[in-house]
Amino acid sequence: MSSLTFLWEFSLGLCVLAAVALGILVLARVVTVRSGARQEAIRAQLLPALLAGEGDVRKLGGIELEIAADLTCELAELTRGSDREDLLQRAADMGVPRLLQQRIRSRSAQTRLTAVEALALFEDFVGDTAYALDDVNPDVRLAAALALAHRSDGPSTRLLVDKLKMGSEEHSLLLVSLMSDLAERNPGEVAALLFERDVPVEAKIAATDALAEGGGEYAPLLAYMAKESEGEPDLQPRIFRALGRNGHPAGMEAIFTGLGSDEWAVRASAAEAAGRLGASGTTARLGELLADENWWVRYRAGEALLRLGPRGINALRKASTDENEFVRGTASAMLAEGRVA
Amino acid sequence: MTEFSLTDPAGWMFLSAQILAFVVILTGVLQTLFYFAQLVFAGAALASRPPVPRSATLWRRYSEQAPSISVLAPAFNEELNIVESTRSLMALQYPDFEVVVINDGSKDATLQRLIEEFGLVRVERFVDTIVRHAPVRGFYASPHYPRLLVVDKENGGKSDALNAGINCCRTSLFCAIDADSILEPDALLRVVRPFIDDPHLTIAAGGTIRIANGCKVDSGRISEINLPRNFLALVQIVEYLRAFLMARLGLGKMQALTVISGAFGLFRRRTVVEVGGYSHGTVGEDMELVIKLHRLMRDRGQEYRIDFIAEPVCWTECPDSLKILSRQRARWQRGSLECFAKHRDMLFNPKYGRIGFVGFGQILLVDVLGPLVEMTGYFLIPLLWALGLLALPWLLAFLAVTFTFGIFLSVATLVLEEIQLRRFPKIRELLLLASVAVLENFGYRQLSNLWRIQGWWQFLRKQEGWGTMTRKGFATSS
Repeated sequence: MSSLTFLWEFSLGLCVLAAVALGILVLARVVTVRSGARQEAIRAQLLPALLAGEGDVRKLGGIELEIAADLTCELAELTRGSDREDLLQRAADMGVPRLLQQRIRSRSAQTRLTAVEALALFEDFVGDTAYALDDVNPDVRLAAALALAHRSDGPSTRLLVDKLKMGSEEHSLLLVSLMSDLAERNPGEVAALLFERDVPVEAKIAATDALAEGGGEYAPLLAYMAKESEGEPDLQPRIFRALGRNGHPAGMEAIFTGLGSDEWAVRASAAEAAGRLGASGTTARLGELLADENWWVRYRAGEALLRLGPRGINALRKASTDENEFVRGTASAMLAEGRVA
Repeated sequence: MTEFSLTDPAGWMFLSAQILAFVVILTGVLQTLFYFAQLVFAGAALASRPPVPRSATLWRRYSEQAPSISVLAPAFNEELNIVESTRSLMALQYPDFEVVVINDGSKDATLQRLIEEFGLVRVERFVDTIVRHAPVRGFYASPHYPRLLVVDKENGGKSDALNAGINCCRTSLFCAIDADSILEPDALLRVVRPFIDDPHLTIAAGGTIRIANGCKVDSGRISEINLPRNFLALVQIVEYLRAFLMARLGLGKMQALTVISGAFGLFRRRTVVEVGGYSHGTVGEDMELVIKLHRLMRDRGQEYRIDFIAEPVCWTECPDSLKILSRQRARWQRGSLECFAKHRDMLFNPKYGRIGFVGFGQILLVDVLGPLVEMTGYFLIPLLWALGLLALPWLLAFLAVTFTFGIFLSVATLVLEEIQLRRFPKIRELLLLASVAVLENFGYRQLSNLWRIQGWWQFLRKQEGWGTMTRKGFATSS
């Protein structure tokens, strides 16, 4: 074949390819539109049956079962309590869990993920959901862990940390949600992670964040972690913010130390925590931070002083007449913003 | 074969013709290969993308951990759309966000319309001064709309306005958008995903921009998707599909994305501040920011990610007159050239890895050489043929390959659209776009290259400024 012929045939090939692709596209759309109408009709029929038990709740198969499974996944997100329990019972009567079990082995990660989340809601399927902890897709693994964390009969915290490969493959912020759910189930297990040497730092950070929500019980532990994490500018600010959210005075000493850190991110987060904690003992130090070279530190210090109430506001007022133009400007702006000028 | 002689003018002409034809063909082949690679990578990105859940699922899964976002919307003479756009922004489905509209010294009633519509009053705000911008005249807010802050500043251009927004924002992430754009309600929840999945690595992410001409807008949301009747707007729909669902998706997969559209991008504030924010004196400020981020991270030897996510969609109005479109395209071309010239040391520089080779290679091939070579081809090859220096069958064969490959790419992009987004509800709309993909090769493509040559000329003359962009405003369903 000459080069010229090749060029013409190549062009022709591209045209044919484009035409075939377009043809398939249109055909697929026609099929979707046609089957869509039928699916809508089945949905309309199944919706009241699943939600209110109206009509015939029976074992389903084929397309009806597929649609019932999709509807169950959608409705389970919108319902709670006894409504959800009734929904799941009806779905079980229709045979939905069996189909979800099959979907857990689907080639599509999206299908597996949705199936895992829904299946975990049914009783007696913990084993199938736990199977997804070994899925090749990290999103599916995380979804399985999140779904199992709600269950009292789910795997242990340590097992989930290992299965998710936290720190090496899994870095998601959703680990905090996972740890929060696990802490609700068994706070001791989550707290224990902080003392284990081979647990990755990211798991420990997520555990710290989760424990902060759990009241003052773990405040001394968080304060200890804040001190221990000195020199880790990525980790320490998160611990200070957790201390602030925790709101327990046991964190005061650590926060005071944090206000003097060399890292601006640590100073800013310590100032934020001081404000949340209402740590009036830090007023003078916060006043000094109004002259910090970093805007975030100045802003968090000003914000904290406003939060501290009259004592902090007085400190801001005093600073608004300071000789240093920088301090004066920051204090005046924060007072004006807080409408206490 | 004709023997070449140094003293023979015909020989010189023949040699020149051969060299010219070789350069044009080589560039064409390289471009074709590059586009094909983008298509393959876009397909791979599609196959390996994380599961795409429904909005309700996204909310359930991400709302607790989603980081706060400041949405920065610079506005200059946007009185026509500003209220609709701001309403759309405030109605976004995201747990914690603030909308910062920056009135960049508008000469029309942009600020007044905002003040009246949202009952804004002048307020104080303690802001950072770390990135440079023109003076701020005042801040406006309303207790009825706690998510909204309006910054009124002296005119300084889009990058200047965005810098003012960066200084004002108090969140770790900011989303830069055009004030005349409409984000889909779950766009933030979708684009934030890389920042949740890889919080330590991700520094920027972009989403798809779609054309809203012809669509119906209701309360700041796209309520009905229609194709426009205007041919220029239709061609731009095909162009945008190619640019976002093929080029950017493919380059994102290669981790060689050199531009996140100024109309919709999410950035880590801290890293953007470290590169000095948006640059002044360029019309390619969105592209330059991404290049500066790459440079910073590569210079530091720090691991990072800049991602493109196809699902979050931002709708924007495109020009539907030749005059305005030509200005826009010339400006885009100038912006690319300015960025390329400013950072040319990154081209094929091993220190910058795939950014130097793939990212800058693409800018060189498509933006720098592309219009020059294609226009040279259009003018000189027929001339050479007329002079008998080029054979007609070859000329036609190359033209056929060029055009059919363009059509093939456009149709392939339509397939990607159908798989990923499926925003066109009617079959005839798909067929219409496929027809446009064929028709654009005859006239529009050449015109577009001419506008890009104008951009080249503006770049060489060091012309500055954006030119006027007249907007018609979105069609409302009421």
